[in-house]
Amino acid sequence: MTDGPASDAHQILFPQLPYDMTPRAKRATQDVRLQQFVNRATLQKDQGRRKALSHWFGDRAEPIRELAGQIKQHTLDHLDYYLGMFSDAATRAGAQVHYARDGEQANAICLDIARRYDCRLCVKSKSMVTEETQLVPRLEAIGCETVETDLGEFIIQLDRDAPSHIVTPMIHKDRVDTARAFERELGVAYTEDPDELTGIARQYLRQKYRRADLGISGANFLIAETGSVVLCTNEGNGRFCTSAPKVHVVYAGIEKLIPTLGHLSVLLKVLARSSTAQPLTCYTHIMTGPKRTYEPDGPEQMHIVLIDNGRTNVLQESTREMLRCIRCGACLNACPVYRKVGGHAYGAVYSGPVGAVLTPIFKGLANYPDLPHASSLCGACYEACPVKIDIPKQLIQLRAQMTHRKINKRGERLFFGLWGASLNHGLTYRIGGWMNRMLFRAKARIAGTLPGGDPYADHGWIDRLPGPIRGWTEQRDMPTPPRRSFRQWWKARDA
Amino acid sequence: MNVPTEPIGEDRQSFLDRVRVALGRTQTTTITEAVPPVDQFLMRLASAKDDLVAMFASRAAEVGMVVRKVLSDTLARDLVCLLREMAAEKVAIGSADRLARFGIDTALGVAGFQVVPWQEQPGFEVQYDLDVGITAVHAALAETGTLVCSSDAQSSRGLSLVPPCHVAVLRGSDILPDMIDYFESIEGTANTDLPSSQVFITGPSKTADIEGMLVTGVHGPASVYILLVTDA
Repeated sequence: MTDGPASDAHQILFPQLPYDMTPRAKRATQDVRLQQFVNRATLQKDQGRRKALSHWFGDRAEPIRELAGQIKQHTLDHLDYYLGMFSDAATRAGAQVHYARDGEQANAICLDIARRYDCRLCVKSKSMVTEETQLVPRLEAIGCETVETDLGEFIIQLDRDAPSHIVTPMIHKDRVDTARAFERELGVAYTEDPDELTGIARQYLRQKYRRADLGISGANFLIAETGSVVLCTNEGNGRFCTSAPKVHVVYAGIEKLIPTLGHLSVLLKVLARSSTAQPLTCYTHIMTGPKRTYEPDGPEQMHIVLIDNGRTNVLQESTREMLRCIRCGACLNACPVYRKVGGHAYGAVYSGPVGAVLTPIFKGLANYPDLPHASSLCGACYEACPVKIDIPKQLIQLRAQMTHRKINKRGERLFFGLWGASLNHGLTYRIGGWMNRMLFRAKARIAGTLPGGDPYADHGWIDRLPGPIRGWTEQRDMPTPPRRSFRQWWKARDA
Repeated sequence: MNVPTEPIGEDRQSFLDRVRVALGRTQTTTITEAVPPVDQFLMRLASAKDDLVAMFASRAAEVGMVVRKVLSDTLARDLVCLLREMAAEKVAIGSADRLARFGIDTALGVAGFQVVPWQEQPGFEVQYDLDVGITAVHAALAETGTLVCSSDAQSSRGLSLVPPCHVAVLRGSDILPDMIDYFESIEGTANTDLPSSQVFITGPSKTADIEGMLVTGVHGPASVYILLVTDA
């Protein structure tokens, strides 16, 4: 493990601002391996989701996601009420609840706990919010070795890389990367066999569980009525992290709340099916307070850190629905842009369609001006979302804001300004139309793609254009405009 | 270990106030509109009318657990056979109170297995060397083929997790149709009376992190056997 923050990983999720997406997106689209992995994996997951939903829900799928969305929305609409309820219930069950305005405060709380119980070795299960707050390097800096235990996160930590997908963090890496990292960092014989690699990780991490005195987990859901923390995992590392060490710290964003265990059944029914096409994750762990005195094992201390870190900015009415997100990753798998550029191109903890909306709100629109445009607005994310977040609408809202606040590109403002002005007046409209016909026909004539003579054959094509539309026309031909405008044709027809 | 806590984070009131302001409210919120009800007609994927044993057995098999139907009289003998097949040596029995009537302890002892008294040491430490963890389950869900294992005075969190193999003894009458039924069964229980840990187990420990290839037994057990007692 490194001392202090791993600079590469830090750079990937916390780049210099304002962030320009183009270089990383370009590199990703030219990376053959990445294209294969990400494309194959996301397509597979997307198909799996569709199959699972139609197999289990049939034509109930739509009303079910409507209900799941309503439950989350209702909780968000009354979030202060439910937060209070949760905190009372969790305290009654013996947990200690902490409140963190931002990541810095959350980390301070966690470091304090680690110091207070003199924790030297921390085992950690996957948690996106700890990525937000950069908790791991902070713990390591005070001498508390911190090991990621989710297999994908473990490999990423060994490689000083950063996760690129909310569910399958190492979607951009393969077995060769894993084999090399294990050989280099763990000193084991080189093997590419996934079973052997997994076995090596199992042995290594078991040694850590045996000695760990601090366990950190995230939360998939928080139950207001009972003060329970719900964790969904497949590998079982989450169960180790929350049961083996004597102290368990839960990092949870405030949007994880839902009212009751009854509501949990609705969300659990959609989560794993949308995420990995499983009926449920292998382990769905409901934890209510620390170990009871009469129970044989479990943590003696349970600390729950409720984290805002920008979420109250998202809570305003126009963007509130974004906090419904249950981090299933379905929108990433469905997104044609994510499939091409991968997660790191988004330059932030949350990638894909959900990240394209959340990041600009968390970090400032001016800092991430490309993200609202990193979508073709095809609507696949909206269709895939199990809690029915209208992501395309949110993206358009952000684009509109960029225009109003004049933080879009100057060239874009100039172009659309002229466009708008010329469409506003009859004369400029006609002049514009005439220029359009002249220029495009001249271009086609020079390129030899405008056959003359026969009036019916007088439909040439434009095969290539310079400047900002070069990329677009590289793959597409555009028909040349006709000799006469529609208005001229209409007039002649009247006469 | 009761060190007094000095709040390092924000205090509760200002935290909640900030949320309230963000929601555009001025007063402490009370619930003014109905909490969305869980529409059972919509959400239920299994009901008491289904053949629960058959449904559970086929769904549990689909997610990779091995189900064997047994009778209560012969359970102990079947368990011995299973452990022999696996060439297990060191085993431990959890939730002994729920298994007492099946006479497992004696049978395993007679058959020569080393039954480790895991309760004598706190924590998971003795469990790392086990070959098999044997537990009862507190309930099961036919809908998804799920075992519900909860912590209590006699049930370790570890025995269904730490050993490489988990053998679960499930009584047919403990199978509930749907997850909805499980949450209804514990509804109204004071949260201080809930187990600190309730785990829904739906398959052996799995990962597909390396190139999407499925590997079982990454941290938890690679195999889960269910002895389904059909006459109990």
